[in-house]
Amino acid sequence: MKASNLAAVPPRPLHACEKHNGEFIQLRDVYKSYGENLVVMDHLDLDMRADDRLVIIGPSGSGKSSLLRVMMGLESIQGGTIRFQGKPYIDGNARGKGKPMDNTLQTQVGMVFQHYTLFPHLSVLGNLILAPMKVHGLSKAQATEKARALLARLGLESKLNVYPSQLSGGQKQRVAIARALMLEPKLMLFDEVTSALDPEMVIEVQNVMLQLAEQKMAMIIVTHDMHFARHIATRVVFCANGKVVEQGHPDQLFTQPREPRTREFLEKVLHLD
Amino acid sequence: MNLDFTVVFSYWQALLQGLALTLVFTVGCAILGSLCGFVLSLLRASNSRWLSVPAGLYVELFRGTPLLIQLFWVFFCFPVVFGVDIPPYLSVLLALTLYMTAITSETFRGALKSIPGEQHDACVALGLASWNKTVFVVFPQALLRGIPPLLSNVVSLFKESALISSVGIADLMFVGQNISNSTARPVEFLSAVAVIYFLVAFPLTRLVGVIEARMLRRYAY
Amino acid sequence: MNYQFDFNFLSGNFGLLWDGLKVTLQLALVSNIVGLVLGFGLCLLTLSRWFFLRWPAQLFIEFFRCTPVLLQIVWFFYCVPMLFDVFIDPITMGVLALGLNLTAFNAEAYRAGVQAVPHEHLDASVALGLRPWQSTLYVILPQALRSAVPVLMTNGISILQQSALVAIVAVGDLMYVGKSIATEAYRPLETYSLIALIYFALSLPIAQFVQWLERRQDTALAR
Repeated sequence: MKASNLAAVPPRPLHACEKHNGEFIQLRDVYKSYGENLVVMDHLDLDMRADDRLVIIGPSGSGKSSLLRVMMGLESIQGGTIRFQGKPYIDGNARGKGKPMDNTLQTQVGMVFQHYTLFPHLSVLGNLILAPMKVHGLSKAQATEKARALLARLGLESKLNVYPSQLSGGQKQRVAIARALMLEPKLMLFDEVTSALDPEMVIEVQNVMLQLAEQKMAMIIVTHDMHFARHIATRVVFCANGKVVEQGHPDQLFTQPREPRTREFLEKVLHLD
Repeated sequence: MNLDFTVVFSYWQALLQGLALTLVFTVGCAILGSLCGFVLSLLRASNSRWLSVPAGLYVELFRGTPLLIQLFWVFFCFPVVFGVDIPPYLSVLLALTLYMTAITSETFRGALKSIPGEQHDACVALGLASWNKTVFVVFPQALLRGIPPLLSNVVSLFKESALISSVGIADLMFVGQNISNSTARPVEFLSAVAVIYFLVAFPLTRLVGVIEARMLRRYAY
Repeated sequence: MNYQFDFNFLSGNFGLLWDGLKVTLQLALVSNIVGLVLGFGLCLLTLSRWFFLRWPAQLFIEFFRCTPVLLQIVWFFYCVPMLFDVFIDPITMGVLALGLNLTAFNAEAYRAGVQAVPHEHLDASVALGLRPWQSTLYVILPQALRSAVPVLMTNGISILQQSALVAIVAVGDLMYVGKSIATEAYRPLETYSLIALIYFALSLPIAQFVQWLERRQDTALAR
């Protein structure tokens, strides 16, 4: 697979990528199901450090997207607990509601979706400054300045007053990332953000994510792009049937997976190259 | 039987006055009805059953009965029910507005529903509070998406307004019928009236299509 | 509100009301049949390859869609006997006027249904080697009809409501009967309320059915 335009691999921390090794995020015994038959998170345990870049891979319906959506507070869990930055964040047990309990913590999570979800009736600038002004109380001038700087870093400064319908797919996704970054999140969630893009635009979005990685942004990424997963991850997590089957350093997991299930999946998904 | 369409031109003033009255009622009730319809659609979308059920019932009632009977009911029964004498033009205004309210609330409801769910997700992801989300994200998009069908509703109202002739309001239909009766030339005058209605409704209908294509493509998708 | 409700006078008029209702139902049903059948034919004309077939059909549709129904009915009742020197009984004329109006709206509904069939299905049928008439009959038509049915039914209900307009040209339908009773007995409130309720009772079940149908189609599409 060609990746000549992909930016360099950002440095990976030296610690070992083992389980139960992080206090930034802690998922314990998390349970989520749709109805009786569809269990997407089956007593799932997962840890994350503040300098981690987790990439979650696995077959469809294995709970990858659900995990992101739960962290963002878009969906609830029915069991288990989640801690974020050392504080209780989500409580799925009887007394909790299964969604984020602390609004401030929730605002420190940013998310980018597969289908851009830019607000079509607002220009790029409008999209970027809406939340900072309404949620964080920034003045219009402050927010505009910040937006301008952010777009410049992403190479999109000329698109400030353009409407989403006039942007390409890659540009839209980059604007979506910028929009999330405006709120200075501590954690970024990427839900298959390149799956709906034409191939030639995938690289430009992935480079932005690598740029963020350089700046030590904590991120959880769900992707089908195994090459990119190997490139950006500090730890790869393979999920199947709502459980973490195996996790480890990308080089190790992709070349010498320990679990047969992992091997089975990777054989189907990785192309010989 | 001799058809002479030139006679129509000698009555152009009367016909134009009728058209003017038709347009006054159309525009007036369109504006009032759209505003009320928007409020009604918000009630229907409300979580409280005390609001949503009566609102839904209102819409079903006004869509499930002939406009003619609504008109007659307001015209003949309102004075009885409320014990006041209402001038004819007010009855007509009320009836058409009540009807338009029901129709436009459906339009707005459809527009609200057509906003993709991901827009709501994006608002949660950005931490936008409910009120801000409604005012800055949902409402503008609902309005944009609702404009083409709303304009269609206005064109419908323009056509349905012909009913007010049945209670003696001197709109285009009334004037046309009157003249055709007095000159005993129904073909010429009724056709002329048809052409006038057509010349207003047809371009507007085309305009709706253009607006839909141009504006929506730019700001709604 | 001081008004003595008195529904007793209605009991003496049941026969009249029933006659009026029969006329209304007759008008609604027959014009629906006319509208469904002719609407389909008209739709085929608008989709035809030949300009001289498409254009008059389109004009017909636009004219019936851009003028008031009341005007169409009045035009029929006063002009057709005069123009063609015939006498047609009122109910048939009503059916004609309403039927032609419904034809125009239904033609548009059929057309929208056809255009809603995704392009890919056409491509797929070509790829499978189906001949044009086969792909039309087995692939396009079933799908077009499925999406057109809710609109056709809604149009059908709408014609039921519009049928009340024939009362203005003195056809003895439910509306006309109601109006006569109301004016004779000086009891508009009870009479008109009852008439409205009857129309409502006729159209509500169909409207609910259409909603159910649309919901089912939405879930089917989502899969």
